[in-house]
Amino acid sequence: MGSVTRKKTLSVIALSAMIGLLLLPIIVAIPALASGGGEPAAGAPPAEAAQKEGAAKIEKARDVYYKTEGIVSGAPAPKTADNAQFYPRYNFESRVLLWFANQQHLYYGSFVLAVPIFCMVIEFIGVVTKDKAMAKKYDQLAYDFIKISLTAYSLTAILGGILIFTFLTLYPAFFGYLSSIFRPVMHIYALMFVAESGTLYIYYYAWDKMKEGLMKWLHLSMSVVLNVIGTLLMFLANSWIGFMMSPAGVDEQGRYLGNIWHVIHTALWNPLNVHRILGNMAFGGGVVAAYAAYRFLSAKNDEERAHYDWMGYIAMALGVAFLIPLPFAGYWLMREVYAYRQQMGITLMGGLLAWLFIIQATMIGILFLSSNYYLWQALGRMRGAERFQKWIKYFVFILVVGFLIFITPHTIVMTPAELKAMGGQQHPVLGNYGVMSAKNGGINVIITTTVLTFIWYMRGNKVPAVSWSKFGNIFMGVFFFFAYVNIIWLAIYGYYIPANVRVGLSVPQVATTLSCLFFMTALNTVMMKGAKQLGPIEWGKISVRSQYALIMLATAFTWMMGLMGYIRSSVRLFWHVNEIMRDNSPWAYTHTVGFGANMISFNVLFFWISIMFVFWLGTLGAKKAPVEAKVPVPGRAPEPAVGH
Amino acid sequence: MILTNPLFWFALLGLGVVVLVVGKKMGLLNNTAFAVGVSVVIAVAYFHIVDHYLMDMQGLDYWYLFRK
Repeated sequence: MGSVTRKKTLSVIALSAMIGLLLLPIIVAIPALASGGGEPAAGAPPAEAAQKEGAAKIEKARDVYYKTEGIVSGAPAPKTADNAQFYPRYNFESRVLLWFANQQHLYYGSFVLAVPIFCMVIEFIGVVTKDKAMAKKYDQLAYDFIKISLTAYSLTAILGGILIFTFLTLYPAFFGYLSSIFRPVMHIYALMFVAESGTLYIYYYAWDKMKEGLMKWLHLSMSVVLNVIGTLLMFLANSWIGFMMSPAGVDEQGRYLGNIWHVIHTALWNPLNVHRILGNMAFGGGVVAAYAAYRFLSAKNDEERAHYDWMGYIAMALGVAFLIPLPFAGYWLMREVYAYRQQMGITLMGGLLAWLFIIQATMIGILFLSSNYYLWQALGRMRGAERFQKWIKYFVFILVVGFLIFITPHTIVMTPAELKAMGGQQHPVLGNYGVMSAKNGGINVIITTTVLTFIWYMRGNKVPAVSWSKFGNIFMGVFFFFAYVNIIWLAIYGYYIPANVRVGLSVPQVATTLSCLFFMTALNTVMMKGAKQLGPIEWGKISVRSQYALIMLATAFTWMMGLMGYIRSSVRLFWHVNEIMRDNSPWAYTHTVGFGANMISFNVLFFWISIMFVFWLGTLGAKKAPVEAKVPVPGRAPEPAVGH
Repeated sequence: MILTNPLFWFALLGLGVVVLVVGKKMGLLNNTAFAVGVSVVIAVAYFHIVDHYLMDMQGLDYWYLFRK
């Protein structure tokens, strides 16, 4: 007993030392970061030379965003010209090469940042679950998740290398300027990447060694460390794109003013962080769900089918849980864009890039329709859920109406003759369609219906047994009814009030939807405690169509991510760094919608072909059936991760 | 107009909750008419409060059209 305790203590010390060593570079780097990176940015005179020249030479300038004064500590942004010195090139469009490298790195980066978060959640559920069989199932599931992300992690690093080489070789002036501003951030980023890799490998390879008692909790803590590092990595990378869109911490010539926090904390940094976290989680859930669908479709026996059905369900549920708040984070980002530069917002949503938002709306609609379709199909694996089938057609009707309103464009592409015949860009009748007031109503109706579908799914094979169940059901029905009424009322009300008042209506609309999500889900969870079971959940007994819905969901996520990245990047138009460093390459123009769509599709195709390879690699090491992934005993339903 | 006063909706919400508590003590919770009535009062009052305050927080007047 004593030797076991000693062994455990030594393991804990070893693990702590290892994590400490991994985090040491970051701790060492913090003072440098706090002092603004130590050395001045590129082009600035060395510290000693500056001292000799005396204090009289110190030049001050005003921050373009914070409007504070700071000591000029860097060179101005380079003024580039269309030549090989600033833009070395192959006989091909450099921007397309960079687009490809960037997008692939982002896809894999998002995936490997999201999956460990799922893994942490599922492993935690496994640790706190009292039912030992279920605990083992959750543990196996978390292990399956991390196994997929491990191979993808190597690819992410390789793609990151390719991206840096592409920047260095095709856009050296721009990359030189960016790295001169972000030098300390980039170093910390690299060190954190080392820490992330080390933690991930220990986390994965120590899985079996640390499977019980205190060691399991330590293993779980390691996943927290892993995710904290991963999230900080993403925040740092976001600061670069935030700076490119809404620069801060520099003067109007682009000279660094010595405050690294201003450079990082730009106007769009926080909205980008929130939007990207949610987006990554939804995307990661989608990809894992597609993996599970692939394994389900290729399963050789019922046992495997049951396991991968369950895995697909959990991944989808996690993905959709983050998909629901995603449009709201998107609204916040857009509001901040408008607040930063109104013209930028207009370019995005009412000008050059507006049609891409119609495509985005279509993709969002497809995501929600696919999620709902999957849940309706999933009702089929529950005995007792047949009673809900007759209502699905009404849900389809509501979703389709919301979808059609959401994707309706405000203006259409017209020839000058058509424009003249119509009497202007706005048709007297059709001009009423496609305005944001109506669109907000459309998407909120879609999301509220998805929440309702999910609540019905949670009730699939159960009947509430609490004494006040009748009141609970009626209250829930009335609450949803008035939520729909409120959303639609606000959408109509928007037509009758001025634009400056109307713009605020989206907030109570969102709050109405979120009220349904949080209050009704909570009420339903309370009502389902001790609920009467009508029959078991028969994992694996689900239609094949449902698995294609999961693949559709994942593909739509991937396509939309590519689209939104393109929109976000394109809004800078002919600027590398907005209003600071001009893009003078021959490719500083906005592509046609068709070209953009083809490029996004190519990126999506490439990602899915490569990730299929990763999936296939994952199957090589796991030819045997999953541990403890048995088909549930009839009459006793295993509980999936989301409290159902 | 009393309808544009948020205190009216708070009072209505409070009334709904009080009636709910009293109804529970009287064993009326599973009475359909009672359940529908209380639920309507609570839901309508709640959504009006949400609309009013979330517009107010943005410095906007939810009752713009009604006041004009």
